[in-house]
Amino acid sequence: MARIGGGGLAGILASAQAPAYAQGTTIHWLRWNDFVPASDQLLRREIAQECQRALGIRLNVETVNANDIQARVTSAVQSGSGPDIFNVLNNWPQLYAQSAADVSDIAEEVAAAQGGFYEVAKAVAHDGRRWLAVPFSIVGNTFAYRKSWFEEVGYAEFPRTWEQFRDAGQKLKAKGRPLGQTLGQTFGDAPTFTYPLMWSFGGKEVEADGRTVVLNSPETVESVRFMTRLWRDACDEGGLAWDDSNNNRAFLSGTISATLNGASIYIESMRRPQSYLTDRGTPMKDDIRHGVMPAGPAGSFHFHLPFSNMMPAYSRNQDATRRFLRWIHSKDVFERWFVTQRGFSVGATTVWEQHPIWNEDPVMLPYRNAARVGRVPGYAGTSNAKAAEIVTKYVITNMYARAVQGIAPEQAVREAHAEVARIYAG
Amino acid sequence: MIEGPLWRKWLFVNIPIILFVFVLLFPFYWMIITTVRPDSELYRPWNAPNYNPFWTWRPTLEHIQYLLEETLFSTWMLNTMLIAGISTIISVICGVFAGYALARLNFPYAAGIGTGIFVTYLVPQTLLFIPLSDIIRNFSLGDTPWALILTYPTFLIPFCTWLMMGYFKAIPKELEECARIDGASRFKAMLYIILPIAVPGILSAGIFAFTLSWNEFIYALVFLSSPEQKTVPVGVTSELIRGDVFFWGPLMAGALLGSIPVALVYSFFVEHYVAGMTGSVKG
Amino acid sequence: MSSATTEAGVGGIRRSRRRMLFEDERWLAMALLSPTILLLGLFIAYPFVTGVMLSLSNARVGVPGEFVGFANFARLWNDPIFAKAVGNTFIYTAVTTVFKLALGLWLAVLLNRHFRGKALVRAFILLPFIIPTVLSTFAWKWMFDPTFSVLNWTFRTLGLIDTRINWLGDPDLAMLSVMIVNIWRGVPFYAISLLAGLQTISPDLHEAAAIDGARPWSRFWHITWPLLLPVTMVVVLFSVIQTFADFQLVYVLTAGGPANATHLFATYAYQVAIGTGLLSEGAAISLAMFPVLFLVVIIQLLYIRRVETR
Repeated sequence: MARIGGGGLAGILASAQAPAYAQGTTIHWLRWNDFVPASDQLLRREIAQECQRALGIRLNVETVNANDIQARVTSAVQSGSGPDIFNVLNNWPQLYAQSAADVSDIAEEVAAAQGGFYEVAKAVAHDGRRWLAVPFSIVGNTFAYRKSWFEEVGYAEFPRTWEQFRDAGQKLKAKGRPLGQTLGQTFGDAPTFTYPLMWSFGGKEVEADGRTVVLNSPETVESVRFMTRLWRDACDEGGLAWDDSNNNRAFLSGTISATLNGASIYIESMRRPQSYLTDRGTPMKDDIRHGVMPAGPAGSFHFHLPFSNMMPAYSRNQDATRRFLRWIHSKDVFERWFVTQRGFSVGATTVWEQHPIWNEDPVMLPYRNAARVGRVPGYAGTSNAKAAEIVTKYVITNMYARAVQGIAPEQAVREAHAEVARIYAG
Repeated sequence: MIEGPLWRKWLFVNIPIILFVFVLLFPFYWMIITTVRPDSELYRPWNAPNYNPFWTWRPTLEHIQYLLEETLFSTWMLNTMLIAGISTIISVICGVFAGYALARLNFPYAAGIGTGIFVTYLVPQTLLFIPLSDIIRNFSLGDTPWALILTYPTFLIPFCTWLMMGYFKAIPKELEECARIDGASRFKAMLYIILPIAVPGILSAGIFAFTLSWNEFIYALVFLSSPEQKTVPVGVTSELIRGDVFFWGPLMAGALLGSIPVALVYSFFVEHYVAGMTGSVKG
Repeated sequence: MSSATTEAGVGGIRRSRRRMLFEDERWLAMALLSPTILLLGLFIAYPFVTGVMLSLSNARVGVPGEFVGFANFARLWNDPIFAKAVGNTFIYTAVTTVFKLALGLWLAVLLNRHFRGKALVRAFILLPFIIPTVLSTFAWKWMFDPTFSVLNWTFRTLGLIDTRINWLGDPDLAMLSVMIVNIWRGVPFYAISLLAGLQTISPDLHEAAAIDGARPWSRFWHITWPLLLPVTMVVVLFSVIQTFADFQLVYVLTAGGPANATHLFATYAYQVAIGTGLLSEGAAISLAMFPVLFLVVIIQLLYIRRVETR
């Protein structure tokens, strides 16, 4: 069956124009469509052109919805054909460990040249023996909040403890400016809130042995109990239906006073300052600040969303893909992408904390070292496939959502514990 | 038909119809108004003061412009039409042949085969697409329109076959027998006597098949990867649904522009189509 | 047409012999069925068998796995989310089907009357069915959006509510919302299909009954409905199967949330197979209802056949 249609034709034309040595080498890179659209533009246009010049490789960047990436990985892995690199998020490399080519050499090189990877990046992309993927970036998660509104209720600084946070939220909600937090079934903002909340009260899924499930503990129950109060007193009830973008839009439209998010809200508000205004008519960007996770009895924790480049073992262009990975992860090339992110993503290596971009805007500073304090799901065990299963089934998020919907905290935790135990036993 | 005073006609016919039209088409009005609404009016929460979501005084074409210039929308439209068109033709031909055989011919296991064709409809797509991607790779169909053209009939043929079966059963056997007495072969009798009568039925099967292919999402998501190969549902969702951006304008423009051609074809065929369903019912 | 004839695979045989073969009903039937059987065999049979094998193995994504018998199904038996998805799917299918049928029938009866602009209404009423589901569902998602809901705006402006309706956030309302969208999409399909059925019914029958003094309702019940039954059965059958396997709508609107309140078979199977990589368990979820659906279909098909031959 002959190939028909634009792609086939375009492919032939493109390779006819390319230098002779480049013929036939195309790298297909599948990514999410970025919350910072400028970065996608950069990859598709300039980076692709440079890649052609520098490596003689034609770069095909395909972006799909983050929610749809896994369908593509699964069908590609099962049929043994598809993209040459998947930019996967969270601890997905552990899910696809058996199908990932060993990229230890590249990862070690990048780590050596750029000050080493953050612990969170390593936890999701390294299986204890080898690198399953090369960590690319980390989307830092902090609270975006409205400075003037928090000042009005007596918080010149962002609340440092959960109790202060609830208190501020209660006063704000009374003024019709609730906190906004999703508890829906969505990949980003829901787990990046619920896991740290659980950890900060001392709750965890398993012991360090990675087998003993200890979710049902007084600490976890206490965190769930706190969540129900926080929800009732301080949160926008619509949050149960939110996906990763609803809170951004609610914030930009001025209906919520704070929400846990990447920096994309602030970046969007700066991209079009005249579109997003405060109730006084001034640009909202001047009223946005970022605050770190409030602390509970056990401390303050974060779950930042790591992104890694995974090369599937089936790829027939492994040599070219390796050359490309070395190139795109090299300081000079990565920097160009990093700059377009404007801090939404931080690097996976520590060297990027020194980048001058952090001197430009003090509002972005909380993101600079954010990745240092992260934890990943599966704590205190390793972030393996079991932990990934619990994330993708939203077990922890739903534990809080169920309690918020009215069942007893103890029961919500008991049910979640049973589910986690089932997964770790299976 | 309507007896009695005018108010009865209003109460029992006109008002319910107006209500139906209102409810069914309200989302479309909503799409149209969103398409032409400037971005700055989209950030207003539901309880904002002085906000009228059903009207705008500052209509704009920027969303449509964005859709046509910044995305490959027109390419996706062409792809979708091509894919839906060819797979519909394949399915209708298969459905007509199979429906005719099952309805008009005596052969062993006819009932079993008929049920078997139906049962394939029970297999959920969410299960099929993983093993199917294996087949697609073996035939080197990945990222070509053929991947969809050949897999869409799997869920179109059962419906077409059963619709056509019902229709063929309704056509009197005597017609065919007359032709055969005049010396026509069985195949010719089918081709020249039965099929022309069945045209409305074929149209209705075709329109349903076309709509289903037009709508399909999972196979199109999984089997196609180049942006210039994608179909409207997949292209629009993967290019326009973005985090912080208020993408509703271009999205609704895409939904509208993507359904208007089909609506035009439908309004053209709908009378035929209604007549077509008529046949399949008589059974 | 000519290509299909070639596909029948009788090349090389002399014309007269071919003619004879085609005169034989069995040969002709096989020739006519072969393209269908070929396509379905190629693209359904193999994946279906693979799917069944998957459900009996412990395969994960990228790991072939071993035969484990019915272990996956046994696991499902104790899975509370699965139980929830089963319940949801049945309620979802039952409620939406009843409403789609009732409203569709009503609309069909109305469209069968004479009124101004009939052709136009008939054409445009189909729009909900035409527009790609994903896109129309995104439009609905925005109409239900907690922050921007135009429905809430409307109800508030009409003075019906003070606080917002949490369409997709409340577990029961979320299920209701999903059903509303499904019904909205499905009513036109039912209406147009049933309208066709109505048009076959000769007006003479109605006039005769009217002369005998039958009231409109009893005329509908005793004359229209029995004649409409065969087409109704086929339409309901296809619609039930489609609704049962519905995926896109829930996937876009709620992703099964909040807290699994709107998970259906297809969305849960997808979450387990694709999200968590447990292909075997996902396949088991997809297939768990196959025997039930199969029985329902067989019974309905037998019933249709009986109605048809009557």
